[in-house]
Amino acid sequence: MAHTSLDAGTGEDAVSMFEAHRAQLRRDRMAANLLLLALFVFFLGWSIYISRFYPDRLAEGLPRIFEYFASVMPNLELANLFEGRGEDGRAVPGSITYWYADFTKYVVLIGETILMAITATILGTAMALILSFTAARNLSPAPWIGMMSRRFLEFCRGVPEILFALVLVFWVGIGPLAGVLAIAIHSAGALGKLFSEVGENASMRPVDGITAVGGTWAERMRYGVLPQVMPNFISYTLWRFEINVRASAVVGFVGAGGIGAELNQVISFHSDDRVTAVLLLVVLTVTCIDLVSERARHAMIGKESMR
Amino acid sequence: MLELMQLTKRFGDTTAVDGVTLDIPDGQMVGVIGRSGAGKSSLLRMINRLGDPTDGSITYEGREIGTLKGRALREWRNECAMVFQQFNLVGRLDVLTNVMSGRLFHHGFATSMLGVFSARERAFAIRALDRLGMAHTALQQTDTLSGGQMQRVAIARALVQEPRIMLADEPIASLDPMNAKLVMDALRRICREDGLTVICNLHTLDTARTYCDRVVGMRDGRVVFEGASTALTDRAAREIYGAEADEAFSESMTSTSLDVVPVAAMVEAPAVAAQAAR
Repeated sequence: MAHTSLDAGTGEDAVSMFEAHRAQLRRDRMAANLLLLALFVFFLGWSIYISRFYPDRLAEGLPRIFEYFASVMPNLELANLFEGRGEDGRAVPGSITYWYADFTKYVVLIGETILMAITATILGTAMALILSFTAARNLSPAPWIGMMSRRFLEFCRGVPEILFALVLVFWVGIGPLAGVLAIAIHSAGALGKLFSEVGENASMRPVDGITAVGGTWAERMRYGVLPQVMPNFISYTLWRFEINVRASAVVGFVGAGGIGAELNQVISFHSDDRVTAVLLLVVLTVTCIDLVSERARHAMIGKESMR
Repeated sequence: MLELMQLTKRFGDTTAVDGVTLDIPDGQMVGVIGRSGAGKSSLLRMINRLGDPTDGSITYEGREIGTLKGRALREWRNECAMVFQQFNLVGRLDVLTNVMSGRLFHHGFATSMLGVFSARERAFAIRALDRLGMAHTALQQTDTLSGGQMQRVAIARALVQEPRIMLADEPIASLDPMNAKLVMDALRRICREDGLTVICNLHTLDTARTYCDRVVGMRDGRVVFEGASTALTDRAAREIYGAEADEAFSESMTSTSLDVVPVAAMVEAPAVAAQAAR
């Protein structure tokens, strides 16, 4: 009779077979890890060589950063800080009014930037929503449609929005429309990929249920999948909106609307305290939007995990 | 009349359903029994065309079902409702919407995408829920319900399809005895009151005996018994369940019949099975 006790059994029994198997697995894993480590070190060394990421170069360049910042720092004088405009309509040098002489213009442009991000996110999400269902391997109506959708999404997210913006500026002209379209296309690609991965993890049981009542493909997606994936989709969309606010501040550099054009101009032509004036506003806006959107996302996830 | 002719389903090398031929008259309640892997689910899924037959034919009132496509296929699925072991409801929608999704075949693209259902459809759905004692949960989110409640909602969804046939794939396999009884009673009542054909995959013998007019026993994809439920002797059961026969008998204790089978019968059942083995 076999007894289960701690000391019982030696030799070719289940325990020694297991131990041999385990040792073999550990050896294999160790070899794989060493190989990966060697590869990592090789690529790290190569990239340091290519980018000449050497300490002396960094140390040498460091003061020049401060040189540039010194040249664009506002010249604020405590005594005149809150001086308004004089009777002749001129602002007093050293006051905030002088520094932010174009404040209204900046605010209008930042408003335009945010609106661009909102429109682009809505357009991009709508496109991603439809394409994610056709691209998901388990949901696609036909393999070739899935393949085409995935390739198309790859193209959309593979090309940076600044490149799309450059091309679109030639196509639809200078202005926010080019920027909105560029960001929308890129977000559709990025969101479509994320959405389709969420869809691939959705349970197929409700989908079977809708198939069994005689539902079309669109009805299976609308009733079987969408309710399951909706919270994730909303969370990803808000996260993409944060990214798009930053992106729409950049596409202006190539003439596609928003605050970017102004930033480009003050950097290239003036390089004075107006650079910090614009940058500060951009950073403040992006931070505010990130904070609000992050809270919204977390509220959504929190509500989910309660169930 | 639903006619299956030499119906076969193969997955690669394995034959799940092997030349099943059956005639099922309208309004009959048929129980399909057999151990897991006997091909019961594959058979049911082929009838609703969730799975395509490899060979053979399915005809309903002279209409060939096995080759339907597109709208005609969806029309057939609407006529031939299906209830699943895992309910297959949409957990994140409310109960009412789940039931009304049984009407989707009658909707165009716009109303179904926007989720617009008419007051008549709403009323119909509520009446269906009420028949199953579930009307009070209509506005609750579906995944807050218990398994037994979900299965009754799933039957309500099947009912609003106004089907001619109702297929039930192991409808009580994941339910406790009390809920299993409620669900089987409901299926029986629907069969009697609405004249629906009900084809129900079951795991346990006594449930089939208690509720079905006719029992089909399957083993390794083939029909090995077919007849009135009263003709289902222990010998026939042994043929269907093979080595697992004793288990199938003792399973009667955990099925729908807790309050039906006297205690003595429960104790005796294994003894009877042992006798049949000789």
